[in-house]
Order: sequence, then structure tokens, then C-alpha cells
Amino acid sequence: MGDGRMRLTVPDMFRDPYTFEGIISKYEEILHDVSEIDMSRVSFIEPYSMVSFLLMGRSCFRKRGEKIKLINLPIHIHQYLARMDFFKTEVFSVPGILDEGLVLKRSSESSRLIEITEIPNKERQGANVISSVIARFRKRGSMILKYWMDDTVTDYFVTVISELCQNIFEHSLDTGFVSMQTYRSGKENVVRLVISDSGVGIHGSFEAGRGIDYKSPADLIEKALTLPVSSKRDFGYGLCQVNSIVEKLKGTILLRSNDASVAALYNKKGGSSKHMFQRDGLPPFQGTQITISLTA
Amino acid sequence: MVINVFKSAKDAKVKVPDLITRPVGRLMFTRAIEKLGDISEEEILLLDFAGIKVTDSSFIDEFIVKLIKHSAEKNYYVKLTNISDISEINIDSVFNSYSNYNDSRIAVSRAELGRNNRYYIGPLNEHESDIIDYFRINRSASFEDISRFTGLDIPVVKTIMEELLKLRLVRKNKDDFTSV
Repeated sequence: MGDGRMRLTVPDMFRDPYTFEGIISKYEEILHDVSEIDMSRVSFIEPYSMVSFLLMGRSCFRKRGEKIKLINLPIHIHQYLARMDFFKTEVFSVPGILDEGLVLKRSSESSRLIEITEIPNKERQGANVISSVIARFRKRGSMILKYWMDDTVTDYFVTVISELCQNIFEHSLDTGFVSMQTYRSGKENVVRLVISDSGVGIHGSFEAGRGIDYKSPADLIEKALTLPVSSKRDFGYGLCQVNSIVEKLKGTILLRSNDASVAALYNKKGGSSKHMFQRDGLPPFQGTQITISLTA
Repeated sequence: MVINVFKSAKDAKVKVPDLITRPVGRLMFTRAIEKLGDISEEEILLLDFAGIKVTDSSFIDEFIVKLIKHSAEKNYYVKLTNISDISEINIDSVFNSYSNYNDSRIAVSRAELGRNNRYYIGPLNEHESDIIDYFRINRSASFEDISRFTGLDIPVVKTIMEELLKLRLVRKNKDDFTSV
């Protein structure tokens, strides 16, 4: 490549948050050296990977002032990303737009999702956007939660979306994104909610505010998730309340921040088996990325 | 006095049925305070949440918690009605966190039996809980009545009633107590 930067062909690792770690391991390289990403090997993208990839692109754009070009996008990936409003964020440069005939229709049948929506980092604007996202979710809830349908589940998700989105402008010092989708994975139906930012992260938030004793970055994440602690106020309820809702719904929650993560697999909880998994020493990726999923 | 929260939210151009975020809580609190201008001492303020589905912790912190604090300053009582299950869970979670991290507890009366099988929301102990239940049947009671009901000595009952008064879950009427 003429400008000294390179083309990177990314592997097919956008299938779930755990395989996506393979892409995050290339983050530093993407941030400094990559100007084109070849997507030809990607066969599937789920919401957490999509939003995290978007954050990567945005960090590059902010750092270098130039957009990374996505090339060789398989048509179905291009269609999906367009449907999710991925390109509306204008973070990546994409050669060509889809022919009108190939654009996925936005009928009620394809309404099992909440398109990528940016959450501003100012309280007033952030609250207005959250209110719109909740209104959209209320409208599409019966489709998104078709396999879990029960008014209580919808109300639980309203609480979860509201709490996590507010954490973006309350704690991250950056804007973030929310997205949600129901999709099929093997024999299972999965509903996945993603709320992520590339702000100061959980560690940064507690460093700036009130301290808390912890053994490792992942331990701090677990404390933030399971105890009513806050980096800003005397105590916090949001994340802790979200965790208890996910437990009630027997879902899973993954919370990744900088170089650590905690996964709580309440669908596997029972007896003496372990359901909370801490990971330290992950490839660094700034901010806080959260995903909640239910399977049926 | 009754505040219809749904109507009040619509008047304030807040999107319903969900009441979420701190700015919305602050806005609703300001409007409630305006309405409370002529509330009498010892009066009960009934917050009617009919039609409201979700109230999140930020809204609860800015609206319900602040109204409870305001009621203590101005000597009126707050009572909730038509609270959804998820709102009850969220209110209970906020009150528990508040009480764990402060020297004082916070609780509120409610008109109907909740999913917790109680007529209040908040972190009460077993004796306090039983006494609140007792007041649902016996609108008014003295220390002696409560002592007979609970089997506790009068000095212990006095301490418990002081706490329930502080939590504003009961009212004192000369030598007797009445429910909120």
C-alpha cells in the first residue's frame, strides 16, 4: 500500500463475543498500521462484535483522522450492516452502496432488532436518546422477545437498557452505542443486547472517583457488577440491578473493560457449578463493552 | 392529596409508560413540589402510578426518594398505589442500597399488597413488618395493644414504633398510632 499502511484480512471471528477476542487482539495493529480491512472471510456478524468493531474504527478515525476502508464485504454482511445502521455512523469508508433491490426491507418482519444508536455523553441529550430507544423497543418488543414473550421480560429489558445507557454519560466520559437483535445460532434463538463505549472504562471511572479495594481488574469489574457500588455517588444501583435481572431471567452477561472481563452465565447456574468467570490480561481495548443475552 | 403520576408525566411532555433517567425524575419532582404547595401537615400524599410500567433507579432516586425526604421536612406522608412489579423491584433495590450505605433507612407505604406480600416497600425487619401488617387490620393501636400482639416488652415496642415513625410508615395520634 502506498501510504505505508497495510491491508488486513480479518478472520471469521465475529460469531460471538468470545471468538471476537481474536479481532481485539489485532486492535493495536489496526489502530496504527491498517488502512484497509478485507472482510471477505467474514460469514456472520453478531451485535456485540459489530458494535465493538465500530468502536475500533471510531478510535482509529479519532486517532488518525482517516477512515479505515472496508473492502470485499460479502453481500449478506453488507446488507446486514446496512440494516443495522452501521454505515450511518460514518466511521468506516465503504466502496459503493448497495443496489436498491439488495437493501433489506424494514418491514415488521425484520423488526427483531434495535438499530445501532449513539448515546451522547451529555445527560440531557443522552436521556432523550434513551427515551427514544426505549420507545422503539416497546414498539418492537413483541418481535424481539418473541421466544421469551411475557410482559415482565419486556419490562425487565426496559430497566436494563435504561440503566446501562445512563452509565455511558454518567461514567464513561465518552459517547457510546446501543443495539439489540434476535437471531438464530445453531438450534438456538438468541436475543442479544449490546451497550458499549470507548471511554475511561470501569477502572478509570473508579480511579477518578471513590476508590474500592480489588485484587485485579477483573475482580473490580465483578464488584461493580455484583455490589451496589458507585464511582460517583455514595452507592450505585444500576449495574447491580442489571445483574440481578439477568440472573432472574437466567441469561448471560459479559462485561469487558480495557484488559479484563467478567462473564456471568446464569443459564448454567445451579448446584455447585461455577457461573462467574473472571479474565485478566486480555488484549487492551479501551472503554466498557457489555452484552446481555438470553437463549431459547 | 393525590398525584396521578401518569397524567403529570403527560402534562410535562414526558414519554410514558416508562419513567426513566434522572432529568425526568428531577422534572417530575419539581412539578410535584409545585402541586404540594398547599398540602397540610400530617396529610397523606398518594402517588398513583396507574399506567406507568417501568420506573428505573435514577428516576426513583430523583423523584420518590426526594419526595420522601421532602415529606419528612414538611411533615406529610407519602404513599404509593398501582405500582408495577418491576417498579416495586427497582424501588426495593434503591431503598436497600440507600439503607446499606447510609446511617438511615428509607421505606414507603403502599395502598395494595405488593409482590413482597407487604403493604410497604423497604428494608424492614420482621417485627416492624408484622406491626405494619397489624395496622392494616387495626387502624389504630397503643403501645399496649402492640405489645400484646407481638409479645414484646413495652420498651422494645417503643423503640420499634420510634423507628416506624422515623420511617414515616405510621402516624402518632395522641397516645395511639395509626397507619399511613
